[in-house]
Amino acid sequence: MFLQYVNYDPSTNPLNNNEWAFPFLECIHIAGFTLSIGTIALVDLCMLGLAFRKQASAVLARQMAPWTLVGLVVMLITGPLIFSSDPNMYLGNISFRFKMGALLLALLYHYTLHRWAVYREPAPAVGKVVAVVSLGLWISVVAGGLFIAFF
Amino acid sequence: MSLLTFAQWVQSLAIPTTVREAWLPYPIILSLHMCGIALFGGMIAVTNLRLLGLVMRKRPIADVIEGLRVPKRFGFLLIVTCGLLLASSKAEEYYYNPFFWAKMSLLTLVGIHGLIFRGSVYNHPAALDSAPRVPGRAKLAACLSLVLWTAIACCGRGIGYVEPPLDKLHAVLIGITLGGR
Repeated sequence: MFLQYVNYDPSTNPLNNNEWAFPFLECIHIAGFTLSIGTIALVDLCMLGLAFRKQASAVLARQMAPWTLVGLVVMLITGPLIFSSDPNMYLGNISFRFKMGALLLALLYHYTLHRWAVYREPAPAVGKVVAVVSLGLWISVVAGGLFIAFF
Repeated sequence: MSLLTFAQWVQSLAIPTTVREAWLPYPIILSLHMCGIALFGGMIAVTNLRLLGLVMRKRPIADVIEGLRVPKRFGFLLIVTCGLLLASSKAEEYYYNPFFWAKMSLLTLVGIHGLIFRGSVYNHPAALDSAPRVPGRAKLAACLSLVLWTAIACCGRGIGYVEPPLDKLHAVLIGITLGGR
């Protein structure tokens, strides 16, 4: 049914031979995105005036940045491991492709435009738009990941 | 009415039936539930890490807790609404799911955690700031909260791994449960 993208037999992967390995990795993956996307969302909510109203988003972002990075690193380690459990399935999965596209965009956006808008003093007029786009991109990444199991 | 008949009744209501049987609602609600986890979990993490002195050290605890109160409530509302929709749509199946029971038990513990620590820690952040050091009970509350919520998320993930006992199920959900992992 699926196209063969890489010549690799996942049945030898320890992930597929240990009942707990895959769910465990998924839990870590969820914890990772909670930390990274949660802290990014906080900065976005601050830019939108919905959290930490009295706070400049730049200060908040500076304090959150290390935790965002920790979360991203956890995601980017567990993600490829999860992927390795069945690469051909993932590569052929439309939701996975969508997720990877959204993730690439979200990461690029986060460390370029978003970064510029957050740290610029005074806050740019487009700050709120930048925050909404950021939230939208990260929601797409999460939703894309979830939809892998369905489509 | 036994718990099982209650679960069957809940599941037979119009909205849970739609969520279970239609094509898109279930994955969409689950995605929103996940986004809620990122948002709400992120805020829980930030609050508790601040109590432990690991983030935003220069900012008063009162600022962090009060600055997050409103979005946290919104996140909680989102996550609970989605959770109720998801749970009610497969109530009968989850009646047999040990991870579901574990998650519900942990949520009860979180409620008890709130009863104990809201009054003494979270509702009086100014007192924590004026103390020379963050008191032990606040750090205990923070650790327990982090552990409980992590465990809840993990049990939630675990729910999807339990094969539904098809022979025992009353409603027609075979087509959904097989694809819905």
